[in-house]
Amino acid sequence: MEAYIVLCFISMLSVGIQAQSTVNCTPVVTPDLAARITTNSVILNPPSCCFGSLTGLNCTSDKCEVWLVAAVDTGVNNFNTDKTSTDFLSKSPYPSAFSNSNPKNYFLTKAGLQNDFPCPSSSTASYFRVGADGNCITTSCNGVLPQGSTASFKYLLVDPASKTLLAETKWSDNITLYTSKDPGSISDSFAGRSGAMVVITAILSVAMALLLLLLIIAVALCCCGGEGKEQRPASQRLGSVMGSFRIPRYDTHHLKDPAPYDNPAYERERKYTTADTLPKSSATTAVNPASQDDIKMQKM
Amino acid sequence: MASGGGMTWLMIILIICNAFASAAGLALFALAIWVAVDGYRLYPISGVSGKDDIFAGAWIAIFTGFAYFCTTIFGIYAALKKRRSLMLAYLIIMFIIFIFECASCITAATNRDYLVGNSNLVKKQMLRYYAENSDKGAQITNTWNRVMQDVQCCGADSALDWIEYNSTFRQTYGTTYPWPLNCCKRLSSFEVADPEGCKIGQSSTMFTTGCFNYIESVFSRYTWAVSWYGFSVQMFVFFLLLIAMVYYTQLG
Repeated sequence: MEAYIVLCFISMLSVGIQAQSTVNCTPVVTPDLAARITTNSVILNPPSCCFGSLTGLNCTSDKCEVWLVAAVDTGVNNFNTDKTSTDFLSKSPYPSAFSNSNPKNYFLTKAGLQNDFPCPSSSTASYFRVGADGNCITTSCNGVLPQGSTASFKYLLVDPASKTLLAETKWSDNITLYTSKDPGSISDSFAGRSGAMVVITAILSVAMALLLLLLIIAVALCCCGGEGKEQRPASQRLGSVMGSFRIPRYDTHHLKDPAPYDNPAYERERKYTTADTLPKSSATTAVNPASQDDIKMQKM
Repeated sequence: MASGGGMTWLMIILIICNAFASAAGLALFALAIWVAVDGYRLYPISGVSGKDDIFAGAWIAIFTGFAYFCTTIFGIYAALKKRRSLMLAYLIIMFIIFIFECASCITAATNRDYLVGNSNLVKKQMLRYYAENSDKGAQITNTWNRVMQDVQCCGADSALDWIEYNSTFRQTYGTTYPWPLNCCKRLSSFEVADPEGCKIGQSSTMFTTGCFNYIESVFSRYTWAVSWYGFSVQMFVFFLLLIAMVYYTQLG
C-alpha cells in the first residue's frame, strides 16, 4: 500500500514538473487607446503579473517565452484539443489558420520573453497589439484577424528549449471586431428643420404678403379712387385722406344755356377757379351778391 | 389734407428712418461680402455636396444691401420733394428689393439645415472623398487636412469614424494606419510626433475629438450673418415702408 502511494507520488511529481497550470489571469482589451478594437486587430493588456508566481520551471524569466493564442469561434475548442500534443506550436500556422477548407480558426504568435513584461508593467510594454504584422505569411507571425470576427485570446508560457507548454492564462471574453460599414449606408437626406429657419421663413413670408397687399391698396386708393371723389358734395369731406377737394360746380337751375359761372364772391380767390368758370365780360344770370341768404347758400 | 405740422413730422421721421436703413443696408452689404469671401475656407465642403446656397444667399445679400443703400438715399430725396410719382417709384423699388432679400434669408437658413443639421452629410462626404484621386477629392482632402491640423480634431464625430466605416482612404492605403496621419500631433517641423502611438490611438499623440462641431459652428456663423441680420434689416424696412406708404397717401 505504501509502495503504491509512493509510486503515485513520484509519478505525480514527474508529471507535475511538466503540468500545465492555469494562472488566474484573463487577457483584457486596453481601456484607453482609441484603436483598441479595429476591423482586424485588437490591443490587449500585456500579461505582466500573470506568470511571475510560478515556480519549478525549466527556464528562467529571460528565457521563457510568452505566446499568444488568438482563436475565432471554433478555434477555442480546436486549440484546447491541440494543446496537449507536443508540436502544438506549429499545428496551425497563420497563413492557413482562417482560410483552408477546414480551418483551425486559431493561430499562435510569440509575444516576447517573460521579462519583457515586468510586473508592474512598464510604460514601453504596456500593450500588445494582435495583428501588428498585417497580412503576413510566416508560420507564427502576428497576423490580422478576419474582419468582423468574434475572437478570444489566451497567453501561454512556453519553454523554448523543449517547446512545452508551461502555463496558460484563462480565455478572454469574446471580443467582437468591427465590420467595415459602407459609407453609402449613411443617410444624409433629411436632417430636420431648425427653429430659426421656421421663424425666419414664416415671418418674412407674412411680411412680404402684407407689404404687397398694403402697397396695392395704397396705389389703388390714391390713383384710381382720387378722381371719383371729386363729384361728391363738399359736405362729405373725407378728412385729409383724399387729395384736395375743389369747390363743387353744380347747376341748381334748369337753364337754357347752362354756362358755368363762378360765384363773384369768390372771384378773387383764383386758386379754385378754372378758365371756363370765370365770369365772361357779358352779364349772365349772376346772383345778386347783396342777398345774404344766397351768399350763405353758395358758400355751402 | 393733413395739417402742415403733421406732414412735416412724417417727412422728418421718414428721412431719419431712410438714413438708418441706408446704413443698415451698407452693413448688410459688408457682412455679405465677408461671408462670400469665406475666410474659414470651408467652401469645398458645401460646394462638393452641391448645397452651397448659404453662399448664394450671401451673394444676393451683397446686391440687395447695396441696393437698399442707394434706394433709401433716393427715398430721402423723394420725401423732401413731396412728389407722388417719386414716392411711388421709391415704394415699388424697395418692395422688389425686399422680395430678393427675403429670398436670401430663407435660402441661407434652409441650406444650413441641409448641410449641418446633423453630421451625416459631412461624415459621408469625408469618407467618400478624402484621399480620392479626383478634383473633388483633392478639394476635400486639402480642406480636411487643414481643419484636422488647425482645429486639432479627427473624423466627423470622432476618430472612430475611420474605423467603423469603410472609406476611400482605407481602400487606398490599407489598414496599417487606422486614420490619416493628419489626425496625429505633429512637431513644429511638421513631422509626426509619434507614429506608433498614433497608430494605436494613444490620446497623447493624436486628436480624438470630432471636427463636426467646428464645421457646424462656422457654417452657422455664416448663416446667421446672412439670414438673421438680413431678417432684422427686413423688419426695419417693413416698418419703414409702412410709414412711407402712409406718407404717400397723404401727399398730393
